Amino acid sequence: MTTATANMSEEIVKKAPKGRSLWQDAWIRLKKDKLALVCLYIFSFYVTLAILVKLGLIASNWGDTIGKEYSPPSLESWRHIFGTDIFGRSVLMKTIYGAYISMTVGFVSSMIAVPIGVVLGSLAGYFGGWIDDLITWFYTTVSNIPSILLILSLALVLGKGLTSINIALGLAAWVGICRLIRGEFMKHKEREYVQAARSLGGGHSRRIFVHILPNVLHLVIVNFSFLFMGAIKTEVILSYLGLGVQGVPSWGTMIDEAKLELARGVWWQLGAATLAMTVVVLALNILGDALRDAMDPKLK
Amino acid sequence: MMRLFVFLSVAFAVVLTGCTKKKEQNLNVLQLATSAKIKGLDPAGAQDLYSSSEIMRVYEGLLQYHPLKRPYELEPLLAAEMPKISKDSLTYTFKIRKGVKFHDDAAFPEGKGREVTAKDFEYSFKRLADPRVQSTGWWLFEGRLKGLDDWRKKYTNTKDTPTNYDDEVEGLKALDDETLQLKLTQPYPQLLYALAMPYGAVVAKEAVDKYGKEFINHAVGTGPFILESFNPSDAIAYKKNPNYWEATYPTEGESSDKENGLLEDAGKKIPFVDGINVRVIVEEQPRWLHFLKGELDTSGIPKDSFNDAVKPADPAKPLTYDNLALSDDLKSKNIQMTIAIAMDFTYTAFNTDSKDIPQLKDKKVRQAISLALDDKESIQLFYNGMATSSQTPIPPGINGYDPDFVNPYRTGDVEKARKLLAEAGYPGGKGFPELPYDTVASATNRQMADYASKQLDKIGIKLKVISSTWPQMLERIQNRQAQMWGIAWAADYPDAENFLQLFYGPNAQPGGMNGSYYRNKDFDRLFEKARVLADTPARTAMYKQLSKMVAEDAPVVFGLHRIGVGLRQSWIKNFKYDEFAFNRSKYLRIDTEEKKKHLQ
Amino acid sequence: MFNFIIRRLLYAIPIIIGIALITFLLFNVVGGDPVLQMVGKHATPQVIEELRAEMGLNRPLPMQFVDFLRQIVTFDYGRSYSSKRDVLGMMIQAAPVSFTLAFPGFIISLCLSISASLFVAFWRGTLVDRVFVVVSVLMISVPSLAYILFGQYFLAYKVGLFPISGFSFDPTQVFSYIALPVLIWVVLSFGGELRFYRTVMLDEINQDYIRTARSKGLNERVVMFKHVLKNAMIPIITSVLIQIPFLITGALLLESFFAIPGMGTQLIDAFNTSDLPMIKAQVMVFSILYVVFNILTDICYSLVDPRVTIK
Repeated sequence: MTTATANMSEEIVKKAPKGRSLWQDAWIRLKKDKLALVCLYIFSFYVTLAILVKLGLIASNWGDTIGKEYSPPSLESWRHIFGTDIFGRSVLMKTIYGAYISMTVGFVSSMIAVPIGVVLGSLAGYFGGWIDDLITWFYTTVSNIPSILLILSLALVLGKGLTSINIALGLAAWVGICRLIRGEFMKHKEREYVQAARSLGGGHSRRIFVHILPNVLHLVIVNFSFLFMGAIKTEVILSYLGLGVQGVPSWGTMIDEAKLELARGVWWQLGAATLAMTVVVLALNILGDALRDAMDPKLK
Repeated sequence: MMRLFVFLSVAFAVVLTGCTKKKEQNLNVLQLATSAKIKGLDPAGAQDLYSSSEIMRVYEGLLQYHPLKRPYELEPLLAAEMPKISKDSLTYTFKIRKGVKFHDDAAFPEGKGREVTAKDFEYSFKRLADPRVQSTGWWLFEGRLKGLDDWRKKYTNTKDTPTNYDDEVEGLKALDDETLQLKLTQPYPQLLYALAMPYGAVVAKEAVDKYGKEFINHAVGTGPFILESFNPSDAIAYKKNPNYWEATYPTEGESSDKENGLLEDAGKKIPFVDGINVRVIVEEQPRWLHFLKGELDTSGIPKDSFNDAVKPADPAKPLTYDNLALSDDLKSKNIQMTIAIAMDFTYTAFNTDSKDIPQLKDKKVRQAISLALDDKESIQLFYNGMATSSQTPIPPGINGYDPDFVNPYRTGDVEKARKLLAEAGYPGGKGFPELPYDTVASATNRQMADYASKQLDKIGIKLKVISSTWPQMLERIQNRQAQMWGIAWAADYPDAENFLQLFYGPNAQPGGMNGSYYRNKDFDRLFEKARVLADTPARTAMYKQLSKMVAEDAPVVFGLHRIGVGLRQSWIKNFKYDEFAFNRSKYLRIDTEEKKKHLQ
Repeated sequence: MFNFIIRRLLYAIPIIIGIALITFLLFNVVGGDPVLQMVGKHATPQVIEELRAEMGLNRPLPMQFVDFLRQIVTFDYGRSYSSKRDVLGMMIQAAPVSFTLAFPGFIISLCLSISASLFVAFWRGTLVDRVFVVVSVLMISVPSLAYILFGQYFLAYKVGLFPISGFSFDPTQVFSYIALPVLIWVVLSFGGELRFYRTVMLDEINQDYIRTARSKGLNERVVMFKHVLKNAMIPIITSVLIQIPFLITGALLLESFFAIPGMGTQLIDAFNTSDLPMIKAQVMVFSILYVVFNILTDICYSLVDPRVTIK
């Protein structure tokens, strides 16, 4: 009896790679989409920039004065191509440093939102009953508070700075994932393969994490790119409201400063930050769509 | 369907860009703008400049500043004459002007405003002490008038007992309808200044009782103008008070006033204008555009339009406040300009009693930072040159200001700063902890903080900028979490005591004015001696000495005194810049012929 | 149906209590002591303590929460700390202002994006479709602040087509003030909406009955308007309904940038001054509206699609 069970579950485990071929499948489909591929490269470029900044290899000298204050973009040197700011610092350097901040905000806040959403969503969808009621109540409550208000107040409570922005964005963004995962779990837990795992004595945690989760994880990937994008956009708004990062440049603070600078005709700081941000958000948008199409053929 | 949609959207767009129509308007009405939402019209809550200006169009107190004489001088307003002061300087007796009536209002029997008596002043001053009223003006009387603190204590934390205004207070008594007597616990020469502030205005008990919490929206005073309509986020309208008492335009002033045409209306009955419209326009730019179109009578210059509006009077020299002329465009519109140094100073305070950064207890460290934070460039960068470095807390125009004194730690000498820091034990900033710097969150403040950290970099000190909302920052200062922060102080009255109290030891308490926790026994002793004196050369000498002590100890980095540039239209007559008086609109006259010509 | 509505309403109660709890926790521990600002610059510790007691801020938290719940039920949110005015009165004054901006912006962008989505759906799969999709994605990728700043700078400041900012309660002038913010609103929301409605239309077009209609030889235009648009109305109405609460708070950034004294500006001011009564009232009123409109949406849905009720 015991052996038989072992054999059968082994068989299921063997089946798992076949399930994972969904990923390979998706990759193949994604590769066919040239536009999406370009977007992926663009995104990777930003991530590389961010890592280089983090390692201190580039833009660590963003605070250096390279010329007169508010000098317009020029080809004088590569550091001047986006001009200088109020203290004569290179706008290009600040923009690159801002990329690091944005990537961090996007990544960390998503890394906070995703686990919360996935865990709560799985529990609710899998167990149902009072657990589901409680979690549903919780996320409905949170989702009924306008998200900008929630983020603002969280950021206020947590104090200023990068960490609190990350946490505030993360804590406000898990709701969507939670709802999605819950729905998927409810569908999947009735499927044959889960029923089979159950009849074979697979425990709750095994069924949740080994069996169902890999089958719904692609949704998380798709959502990840949208979360990432939302975080980057919200950072700008928080900066405008004075809740942005402190002491280092970010796209948000650069755009915020433009409201003082535009009337003096200084448009390049706004221009550089807007350009940098538009490109990455656009890439994420297209990439997200392509990922969704690639991973969830049903939706097409 | 699609066509319908498109049609609808186009129709909307057309309606949106619809043109504007002008209303027929009375030319003899002042058109003003205020840059902040008005927080109600209760004199007891007159905390900010903007509300005070509006309150003082309607309300009046015992005294006011003479509209023309400089330096500032008090004169009786609702008092019939200046008060009699007893020999020991402890008893002040006021005679109240006869025949002054409150505005007609539904709060009075038959809607007719009654005559003001000394009792009304007793009531109005007690209101400042009433804990229910939560007045921001209590500090003016706190510990000053005999028995008033005890009266206040009776009603603190006792929600259910209503405040009894009939309770006698020894130091605040109406002896009869015309006589008000104030008895002080100790000499307090600033009392007269306090009475000229909006807090000292007389209110009618009937109106306070009738409107209750809504009293802030119903102004019933004795002033030259009557509140007609009040929408704190849009507009406030006043009309001339037909029953205003026989007040007249002053007949004397400064020597220059005559040639400036400020005495042409001498002795005439005021007010001259039929009413005032005040529009609430928070943003600088629209205010400016309205002014340029002639729709507003006065305006400042927005920071961003500064270089379009003014030019250096002498083109060879840089643009500074003493080298300033209107641009040709504005000159051709015959716009008039006033330049004045504001009676305020900005400063960067240290927590000199800091547990987290004990280094700040060291005078040399503070002096070094003070030297590193030079403001020659920042005055240009952030103020368009419209500010002047402050050497001490006392601004020009107040007795005690010393034009010859140069603060040895305001010279911007970075070498000396490095030397001092090395002497304190931190050569090149080595071993000096990261220094938190608190500021209010806004783009300008962020840039200023950036600039400060660049400057401190030069002596090897790293700044960590913490920006918060204003209440959050106040809380951090109160809880001693803030170590270094940027802040400003504006004068309540033209007495250096008002500035020097920021450094008085006993004011060093949570939430108190001496946020630096600066304690210097010599300073405190001399300050206690000086502040009870009347304005004499001896006192002025003491004030100078006090400000030098503060400069040497550097509990704060002195920043700058801001300079205001005010513009007005050609048809506005009798205008004179005034720092403290909020009730100047009654003296203004509109040359309606000139205005008509301009508007056509 | 009646039972369904009752059930949804009852379910709203724990949600509203939950929102109240979160709001309360957030703001009663939020930094920034409102008292310090209220006492002014001449404060002493004693006066601060007295004022705190006077305002009931030193009472135990559970008591304060009960008070808060009572406020929610009675709609009496007390007085603003900073202006001392009645909070509900202030909101009632600000709501129409926000609406003046939001309503035209909303209607115009709705009409434009629905028309465009029909157009795009008609040309689906062609270059036209592709261009529209790329443009709409591009439009949502530009940061909203950049639209506002550039719009204000070029159209108002440089070209002088509109006043730079401000608002007028005078009905003859209000249009000139809201024209630019409305325009920016439309630009801001057009991309996202077009994308959404395009998906909705395409979903409908791929339905069997459309194929049937087409195979009957019906004109493509008739198919688009009679069938596709009609059936797409359900998701459209749903999305419209759920957006309505947002209209009343208006666009936070737009209002604050153009100095329009609506609820968005009010909220930002309240945040900056730790004006707790105002923040709490706004969050609660807005959240409750959101709950209510969610219920309305559900009801609408169940009216159209009977299967929903069974669930």
